[in-house]
Amino acid sequence: MPGQIQHPGYEEEKLLRVSKLLPCRDVQAGRLLALMGEPEQYSYPSIFIYGHRATGKSHVLHTLLNELELPYATVSCVECLSLGLLFQKIILSLFGSDCVPLLPRSPSLSDFVRVYKQLCVQSTAKQTKYIVLDRADLLRDMEANILPAFLRLQELVEDNVTVVLLSEIVWEKFRPNTGCFEPLLLHFPDYSKDELQQIMCEDSHPSYTSELYSAFINILLGVFYSVCRDLRELRHLAALNFFKFIEPLEKDEVKESDIHRLWRNIEPHLKKAMQTVYLREVSSVQWEQQQMAEKEAGALRGLSAHAHVELPYYSKFLLIAAYLASYNPARTDKRFFVKHHGKIKKNNFLKKHEKTSNHLLGPKPFPLDRLLAVFYSVVDSRVAPTASVFSQISSLVTLQLLSQLGHDDQLDAPKYKCAVSLDFIQAISRTVSFDIVKYLYDFL
Amino acid sequence: MSTSSVSKGCFVFKPNAKKRKKTTSLEDYFTHGSENTENGKLRFKTCQTLWDKMTADTEFLQDELNRKILDSLLEFIRKSASTFQHGANDWGSQMRAHEIPTAALVLGVNVPDHDMTFHSLSEQLQQSVTQFVVSLQAKECAALKQLMQNVLQRLMGASVSVKDDDLDESEPGCSTVDHKRAHCSLSTLCDWYNTVTKKASSGTPGKKRVSAGKDMHQHPPIVVIFKDLEAFNSRVLQDFILICSRYVEELPLIFIFGIATAPSTIQHMLPHSASSLLCIELFQSLSCTQHLATVIDKVILTSQFPFKPSGKVLQVLVSIFLYHDFSVRNFIKGLQLALLEHFHSQPLSVLCCQKQEAQGNLSKLSHQDVERIQQLPSFMRYVENQPPEDQVKLLTNDDHVKEVCQKLLKDLRKYHKNYYPILRCLHVLTSSLPKYPLGKQIRELHISCLEKNVWENEEYASAMTLLRMMAKEELVSALQTCSNILKPGKTKKIKAALLQLQDLLDKFKKPDSVSDSAAVDDITSPGKTLQKKTDLFQLQKSLMEMKGSRRSKKMSQYEMLREEALDFIDQLVRSHLAPPESQPLYEVCYYSSSAVLRRHLNATPRTSIQTALSNPYHYLKNEDLRNEDGTVSNAAPDICIVYKLHLECGRLINLYDWLQAYATVASAAEGKDPDSADYGKVNELKHARFIQAVSELEFLGFIKSTKQKTDHVSRLTWGGC
Amino acid sequence: MSKRKAKKTHMTVGACISQVQTILRERFCHQMLPEKPVGMESQYKHLLELLKRTAVHGESNSVLIVGPRGSGKTMLLKCVLRELLEVTEVKKNVLQVHLHGLLQTDDRIALKEITRQLNLENVVGDKVFGSFAENLAFLLEALKKGDRSNSRPVFFILDEFDLFAHHKNQTLLYNLLDVSQSAQAPIAVIGLTCRLDVLELLEKRVKSRFSHRQIQLLSSLSFGKYLDNVISQLGLPQDFPDTKFSEEWNDSIKRLCEDKAVMAVLQKQYNSSKDFRSLHMLLILTLSQVSVSNPSIKPADLLEASRVCGADSKANMLHGLSILELCLIIAMKHLNDIYDGEPFNFQMVYNEFKKFLQRKSHSIYNFDKPVIMKAFEHLQQLELIRSMEGSTANIQKDYQLMKLMLDHNQVMECLQKYPQCPTDVKQWAMSAFG
Repeated sequence: MPGQIQHPGYEEEKLLRVSKLLPCRDVQAGRLLALMGEPEQYSYPSIFIYGHRATGKSHVLHTLLNELELPYATVSCVECLSLGLLFQKIILSLFGSDCVPLLPRSPSLSDFVRVYKQLCVQSTAKQTKYIVLDRADLLRDMEANILPAFLRLQELVEDNVTVVLLSEIVWEKFRPNTGCFEPLLLHFPDYSKDELQQIMCEDSHPSYTSELYSAFINILLGVFYSVCRDLRELRHLAALNFFKFIEPLEKDEVKESDIHRLWRNIEPHLKKAMQTVYLREVSSVQWEQQQMAEKEAGALRGLSAHAHVELPYYSKFLLIAAYLASYNPARTDKRFFVKHHGKIKKNNFLKKHEKTSNHLLGPKPFPLDRLLAVFYSVVDSRVAPTASVFSQISSLVTLQLLSQLGHDDQLDAPKYKCAVSLDFIQAISRTVSFDIVKYLYDFL
Repeated sequence: MSTSSVSKGCFVFKPNAKKRKKTTSLEDYFTHGSENTENGKLRFKTCQTLWDKMTADTEFLQDELNRKILDSLLEFIRKSASTFQHGANDWGSQMRAHEIPTAALVLGVNVPDHDMTFHSLSEQLQQSVTQFVVSLQAKECAALKQLMQNVLQRLMGASVSVKDDDLDESEPGCSTVDHKRAHCSLSTLCDWYNTVTKKASSGTPGKKRVSAGKDMHQHPPIVVIFKDLEAFNSRVLQDFILICSRYVEELPLIFIFGIATAPSTIQHMLPHSASSLLCIELFQSLSCTQHLATVIDKVILTSQFPFKPSGKVLQVLVSIFLYHDFSVRNFIKGLQLALLEHFHSQPLSVLCCQKQEAQGNLSKLSHQDVERIQQLPSFMRYVENQPPEDQVKLLTNDDHVKEVCQKLLKDLRKYHKNYYPILRCLHVLTSSLPKYPLGKQIRELHISCLEKNVWENEEYASAMTLLRMMAKEELVSALQTCSNILKPGKTKKIKAALLQLQDLLDKFKKPDSVSDSAAVDDITSPGKTLQKKTDLFQLQKSLMEMKGSRRSKKMSQYEMLREEALDFIDQLVRSHLAPPESQPLYEVCYYSSSAVLRRHLNATPRTSIQTALSNPYHYLKNEDLRNEDGTVSNAAPDICIVYKLHLECGRLINLYDWLQAYATVASAAEGKDPDSADYGKVNELKHARFIQAVSELEFLGFIKSTKQKTDHVSRLTWGGC
Repeated sequence: MSKRKAKKTHMTVGACISQVQTILRERFCHQMLPEKPVGMESQYKHLLELLKRTAVHGESNSVLIVGPRGSGKTMLLKCVLRELLEVTEVKKNVLQVHLHGLLQTDDRIALKEITRQLNLENVVGDKVFGSFAENLAFLLEALKKGDRSNSRPVFFILDEFDLFAHHKNQTLLYNLLDVSQSAQAPIAVIGLTCRLDVLELLEKRVKSRFSHRQIQLLSSLSFGKYLDNVISQLGLPQDFPDTKFSEEWNDSIKRLCEDKAVMAVLQKQYNSSKDFRSLHMLLILTLSQVSVSNPSIKPADLLEASRVCGADSKANMLHGLSILELCLIIAMKHLNDIYDGEPFNFQMVYNEFKKFLQRKSHSIYNFDKPVIMKAFEHLQQLELIRSMEGSTANIQKDYQLMKLMLDHNQVMECLQKYPQCPTDVKQWAMSAFG
């Protein structure tokens, strides 16, 4: 049923093969092909393809380029730590490895263009060359001239070349403020639910009927579709949970027709999966193992379940102090920590001009001396300001339990924020039997 | 060695190579000053041997403790490596997205202690699984480029020389597949890996053999260890993971995250887009407190180390551990410092060694060493208890003294031999009691025993009363363990005790007559319940009714036995757990100056600077500077004066006023008469001195320049006078 | 010519089509020069005069061609050069140096490039020069040592002229313009830029040496002209092999442009921007739909093309979000309404969402927090929300301050388009305050 892609420039059977390989993407493929035109014909200098993850952007493009045997270079910008790497890859895959040495070390863009030109002159191929830049959004972080230059590369190198940019991010976020050559925008829409169903059913388990599998997929989508539409993710989940699904069949408690029973069996399991393996709280391997082991799904504790941290006694109090300092307004310290705060009236103290609580707004920064002041007033025994007390603070920073703001010039009265959650700090203060909630402004 | 730990400031970074050098200098440090050098040499030698022994033992311990977790880790790596080999044949793993197997290794908050673990880990990996192991530290991987570079260099470094400026170097005209011109990218790594593994599998003697399963031969995994995950920049980490995930089909990559805090930090650091590319498995190492317990058990609570820390010293070390850093290494270093101090400061420590040497050294003692012995308080106490004629001999005749010392040292050794087993027995009995009257950990019990006669403090009494209502089976089992503890004992005292304990146990075992078995039950029942209730009030009440019941009933056989057993235990305690002070010559083995240790291990730089500034006499010991009422005399160094003056100012200090005040004080110091014209005038000299003093203050971090107000500086200290 | 035509009069449709494609693509994609630039005759004449003077009489000069992107600056220049170079003596006399602001990102590179294009590398060899000026002077000097005593005129063509102004001290510009002032060697400096305020970028000393000749390309095309241009752009040339086909084609184009809907589309295009490049984009999209089965451009094709061009990409992306993500967007929208545009953090969004769930007491959407967090992160990846803090390294995820990069209307529109959007979610979005 895939709408046959047609183009005079290429043989029928090739195109047929392509359209086999691209389920539910024939429209996009067709349009793309039409734009590319026949091998010798010019194509638009730069094409910008955007769409959600796993909507077949690079898949479509690469199948076309591969199957139709067009000259192309594809580079993922994630890997390009340096411009040199980028250029090298392009030259390599367009002109072959023996041309790479022509590039000088740490080449500039003009070097690249020069080399490219001179190579073009040598090569007689008239075909359109394609340069595919995946994760193009990273081009923005490179030198300012790279993105505009690639957009008008055809003009710069005076060769029949087309640059294709792939990204999940819309073009508006790319455009430099002085403008640039506008690429041709192509959108790859997300798969509809049915399309997802259709695609995922293609990789059904060999030893089971495709009806069964599609039923399974249907259930899976029922649970996950409202949360996640990433095909890759969904496929992964399907693979992980299929065996659980067919378990009753294996034990022939249920017969294949009885989808409802199967559904009742799998549904809670999938719900569980959403909380664990979908978030990678539990690794996929562990997940499968526990399925095999017939354990009930609660048995596995996720990563964030192990939040408990053993800390030295004073570090605990330092952390508590930091938490108090960053979630209580400074003006309330007096009331909390001074023994006889006669003046402060309960009611006018309690007026919360900010109706939103600090636990909604997040931690506020505080200076070192406030931290120490609070620390000395919460810790029960009197502590000598030894070197180790101070070093513990900076250690807490490196452990990312505290976070230091601004440049870390110690003389310049550093500011900190507490970077732990309420549950965490409560657990900590329980171990030193310190009732932190009593000291928190929000819970008054 | 990383300094990011809950103990950074206090770490002694001492690589072994340096230690050698240090110790040589140490030797003359020992001998120098003391009149007879060979004594010093001896002491140094023994100290040296003990030190090394301690280090060796503790390291061995550490390995033992890490064994389990390391083994499981290796197992994990082998497994995931083999799945990479022949994973992709079954349907499930084909459909599954490929993830990078990752081990999250939780090692507790003390990062510097991890080094040893990682070291042994990578060693074991190298020799048993794969030679491709890279361990990275956060501070070498500030940016993705460095990270990449490090990985590539350390992997391929063996086979090719990757230059430092590898990033974008490319000399034209070198062969196509070389790594010289490699832009450091994983594709380069891929090529390299394939060539290397091909070589290995084809069996050319190029690379080292991998001594593992043969699939390891073809595709040994590449293990990347992130030593301190928390310190890494999450952005860099994400990108690296992203890049690696693109090569997961070609390269058998495996990550190991060294985590100091908790596994949840992974979720905090990495967004799901990154963490969904990993297949994370968790490995928890045992807590450092357990670790400490073992170390104390093996190093301190044993008679094989002649050197002993006193109660106070132990207290200091433990509290540093518990309050400041959870660093076992630090604890050991502290102990070694104590050792050093002891041998250095105490000339008689020459006797603190194993039996044979002790005898030898004793005979070598010089006259004034003997005098030293005679002056030892413990020895004096001993002398006083002797009949007069012996006293005379002991005070006059050196040889006699030496003989006596011989005996005394022997006794001391015996004392230790008895002390520890009994201590353990007592701990076994009391550690199960509610509220732990004598402490949960054995070290607490040990300390309290070192302090004073343990049987005199009321915790002991309460413990005993609790024991006196222990249920039968628990008591028996406890006693059983006690007897097991006593078995290896050599001294006849211990042997006797063991026998006694044995037949007690037999008595317990033998079944009671029916009549009092009932009684036993209903008597012991409150005892049983007692185990459960932990709050003291309840305890009292039950004690009361016990008394009542006891008065009414005649004691059952079990009770009598119990009484007997506990009296026996009590008597053991009294006879063997006396504090070392009671033993003559204990000074030889016990190091007790805890103050020194505290000063060294837990320094207070801030306070000492402040004393220096506010009370220069404390350090300079110059009579003119002596001052009564906390005021600084105007003869004090400029910086002290400036400091004093700055205490009187607010948050912002006007430099000009400050200078004026200083000038007045300074000219007062010159003893000018207050009425003279240029009194308190500022001349170049004063000005210069003032400026210097101020800049010194700034250097010390008391003030800093500010932009809030012209020619003002701001205070960084608070309070003042 | 006529013979070839006679031979090829009846080609197959396929052949014709592909021929058409080839020709037109050359125009639209490769900026093939038209025989006469449209709607800029005066500027053309002016520039031609200017360059002639340099080329023939050896007067130095400097000129800026200023116009918005795609207004045909390069095209104009190229046309002029083309005509100029038809004069043989000019052809063998004049030298050209093409520099591009995007390529020559600093003066060192630029100078290397100049040397290369004047092919003087071997002359320069490995001399070292004290200053940039010296170096340039040497180059121009070197040109003198040709066959003839007086040196050859050089055209320096600086594309993206404004970028050169960002180079350190504007050394290159300074020197070039300086030379063009003092009669050392006859050079013409031609700058092309889209920045009308380009002169403000120049330092005083540079500015003072510039002749202040500017050629503005603010195309004042009437719609009629524009339409004609479209026709000529789509039209086939006289020398098209198959005359019959070409005539048909051209007629079809004419008819096309009389169509109401097409008119409307073109009018819209015209109003949005008169420049050729955006037009080209439209036309290539149209052209791409021409095939054997569809041998001439139908109005529908053009409409389709304009639809593709005019698609709102953000809306497209929103369409692909999951329900949960959509809900979060709505929650953020409400937050924006409440605290007029103040940045928010995950906690707030979460609360807002929870409030909604409590009101609707059914359990379809109550996912636990981490799941929602994952959705939130996805939105951040799509840059639909942007974090306010610079370095987000050490701040808890759920307290990072965020801003929504969509406005009220975009959200509402996407709700309308969203496939089977649940009604209660719709209502929630509509409701005035969260």
